[in-house]
Amino acid sequence: MSTGRFAAVLSLARQGFSVGVEFGAHSLEALVGIAETVEESVYEAGSLAGTATGISFALANPPLRTGAFGEVRLRIDGAPVPSDALRARTATAPDWRTASTVSARAPLELAAGVRTEFAVDGDWGPSDGELTVRLELTSIAIPPLVWFEFRDRVRSGGPG
Amino acid sequence: MTAGPAGPARYGPPPVLLTTLSSAALLDGRGDLELAREARGAPGEWGGVYGQLVRLTGPWRLSLVVDGSSRSLPETLVEAGGGSDRWQTRHRWGRLEVAETVVATEEPPGAVRRLRCSLTDGPALTLTLRSRFVPFLLPVLVEGIRPARYRADARPGELRVRQRGYGLSFRSSVAPSRLYANGVAWVGNSREGPVEEFASDHEVVLTPEAPVEVTFLISGGLERSIPDTASSELATGDPIEVADRAERARVAWEARTPIVRFPGAPELERAYALARSALRRLYSAPGDGLVGLVAGYPWYAAIWCRDLAWMLPAVLWLGDFDWAERSIDSVFRFQARSELPLLGGEPGELPMQIAPGPLFLYGTSDTTLYYPELVLRLARHAGRASVPGQWRDALARIAGWGRARADAETGLLRNGGEAETMEIAAGPVARIRYGIDAPDTTIWDSTDRRDHAIDVQVLWWGALRATAELLEGRPGPPDPAGLRALAEQVAGSVTSRYAWPQEGYLYDSLRAGAPVAQLRPNALRAVSAGLLAPETARSVVRRAARDDLTTPWGVRTLSSADPSFDPGTYHDGQVWPIATAWAADAALAAGERELGLAYLTSIARQLAAQAPHANECFRGDREEPFDSCFVLGFSVAPFLTILFERLWGLEVDGRGPRLAVRPAFPESLPRASIDGLRVGTGSARLRYRSGRLSVDWSGGAPLRLETAGGTTWVGPGESAEVDVAAGGSAAPPHP
Repeated sequence: MSTGRFAAVLSLARQGFSVGVEFGAHSLEALVGIAETVEESVYEAGSLAGTATGISFALANPPLRTGAFGEVRLRIDGAPVPSDALRARTATAPDWRTASTVSARAPLELAAGVRTEFAVDGDWGPSDGELTVRLELTSIAIPPLVWFEFRDRVRSGGPG
Repeated sequence: MTAGPAGPARYGPPPVLLTTLSSAALLDGRGDLELAREARGAPGEWGGVYGQLVRLTGPWRLSLVVDGSSRSLPETLVEAGGGSDRWQTRHRWGRLEVAETVVATEEPPGAVRRLRCSLTDGPALTLTLRSRFVPFLLPVLVEGIRPARYRADARPGELRVRQRGYGLSFRSSVAPSRLYANGVAWVGNSREGPVEEFASDHEVVLTPEAPVEVTFLISGGLERSIPDTASSELATGDPIEVADRAERARVAWEARTPIVRFPGAPELERAYALARSALRRLYSAPGDGLVGLVAGYPWYAAIWCRDLAWMLPAVLWLGDFDWAERSIDSVFRFQARSELPLLGGEPGELPMQIAPGPLFLYGTSDTTLYYPELVLRLARHAGRASVPGQWRDALARIAGWGRARADAETGLLRNGGEAETMEIAAGPVARIRYGIDAPDTTIWDSTDRRDHAIDVQVLWWGALRATAELLEGRPGPPDPAGLRALAEQVAGSVTSRYAWPQEGYLYDSLRAGAPVAQLRPNALRAVSAGLLAPETARSVVRRAARDDLTTPWGVRTLSSADPSFDPGTYHDGQVWPIATAWAADAALAAGERELGLAYLTSIARQLAAQAPHANECFRGDREEPFDSCFVLGFSVAPFLTILFERLWGLEVDGRGPRLAVRPAFPESLPRASIDGLRVGTGSARLRYRSGRLSVDWSGGAPLRLETAGGTTWVGPGESAEVDVAAGGSAAPPHP
């Protein structure tokens, strides 16, 4: 554990203690429960997989915000993915769309509880390596960038 | 104002919102609890049952199954109607008739559906009612996520579903013959895992002579609040009685509020009644001892403390002092006492949101600043000589919080950076990271108005003055004189550093010492606060009335001439009724009476067109709700407050008692009246006609009546008539 991470864990423990003392154990439990729900309900754990042309992964929910997104970007280990190498489809719009076709006039629509699959073309390292994937979405109604980042091991045998 | 109303606004059929203090049911009125609404630019489904500010379900649908054929309730709809307490529909399918009543229930928090099924003629038949609902079980403050996994237990008389401390209970008066999970028959007992839908079949045999009633109830919220016993009998027993009780409570509440009349402006009078009714529907006592008002529906169905702060002045003018006091107390309970960067909290800061759990989150620059003035308002309206000691301690902490964010040279408060703080705090420890890159969280929280947004400075100035008054005589820091001096410094900085002579307006913010030349309605708050010289105030009001900022359907969040203007963007171009209310308030404060009335009339027209709801916002290029909650406290409460404070020009102080009346009625509004205005423990009746004011007073002590011309004393049970321009005698009567 790095010094920075150790300090962060200590700070977290101190904050948790403060919340418990000042606002009660129920509060601490409820806040932790919400954080865990969000963590577990967006990225489908284990869905990062190698495909014939690159990698794929799935989200069970939109990250924090629903609605129409006029821009979709992806970074893998910090490197931007070209928009014509990124495709997405949802349970309600099952045809693959390339990110380069997404715009304010033709947005990608994401709804709560609706699964979204992403496929990325390209060579992203060893088939069993770990990747940090960062998804960035721009809403057409509320500008600030919504982002979601996870790190996972690439499994073999994803959908083509 | 550039033009009058743009003709009748076109809205779709209004959604149906049934509420209690602890629950809500959202539907489209066709029989099922489903409600498709545009949200954030895309279709979304918001129908279902809400309890304790937790969305219990997504859509909840019933279908009729006879001999293998089925029809949904909406497919068989014949007629529909109702109000805020119940919704009733009639359905027909061949010789089968169904009358449904939907009611939100307070205890247990949820919604009940009663179906009376009958046959017109012919032989008996077996009807299967199939119930299908999507479980949700997450507080509404978490937008856009439906949990992935649930635990379900089927036991006699109940299906219970749980998700991390939240739960729902599904009951019916006719036991299910079959259960389904994800469309597959389910034997019952317990299951755990992903669930898209629960369904159940309920069979009844009908004959023309024997109609059958079937009742369904979904209730819940916090799992620990759901009783183990079948205590839902009352709600399932007679939903009509439940609705009648809710209606009686609502009518009784309205009867205690002032009766406001404008004989020459029926649209204002009707808008007052509509706004008052909409505000009452937002009242919330969701559990865990919390009291407040929900910000709006459907996606802001939580207690947002900034929104609450905009609603409470109206609640006070409506005379509900107790609700205002309990609401403020609920917010103060969650004041941060130490650094909580993961929640965005700094010592002294008040929460952005509170919900049962209890759940709370900080991270705004402005929410905290509203509350000192709210406490002062409560003291004045209710006639409290002092505020509770724990509130005074909370106010002292608020002053400390603000001072820590204030610039030493200018006194100006720094806004922004909260989301970044939370991200930094969470980064090193989180396995999964997520966020919204909102660098700033003022009332327009989706745009960047750092470092010193003008309206935040007005709030800071008001908070300092209110805190100084409330802490007078309290031992220990902060020193009220120091707070007043700081308020003066802030006022000086506002007048000297925000002036924008080229526009005759105020800059929107200062960033790194340089003015931010964006034209937004937020500058109007400085006019309302009285911080500007009269001529400057009028200039600001007139500039705001030009058609780049003011449209026939209200005021934009940003001038259309600004390079970053986008008519579809929440805080960079959309029209917000609260911004229109600011414009009305400022115009009346600056003496632009006809202009102020025009803004109020514009809001009144919209309220009538949307009744019983009040949209959050509209596109900036046409009168079309976009990314808009269909009812929002922001859109009704400021309108109510302005009627009392600006149009009537009322100031109350029940501690005297004292009533100041400085009306701003334009010539086009020569008559007005208020019955039942609460001032402390007393009540006043006001009649205004062409400059003459009569006041009847029912309080226990003489009322000091102040008008522009002087002071008049009105004894208990007595009346007085004064010229509001000339005033009366200043001699107080003997008690």
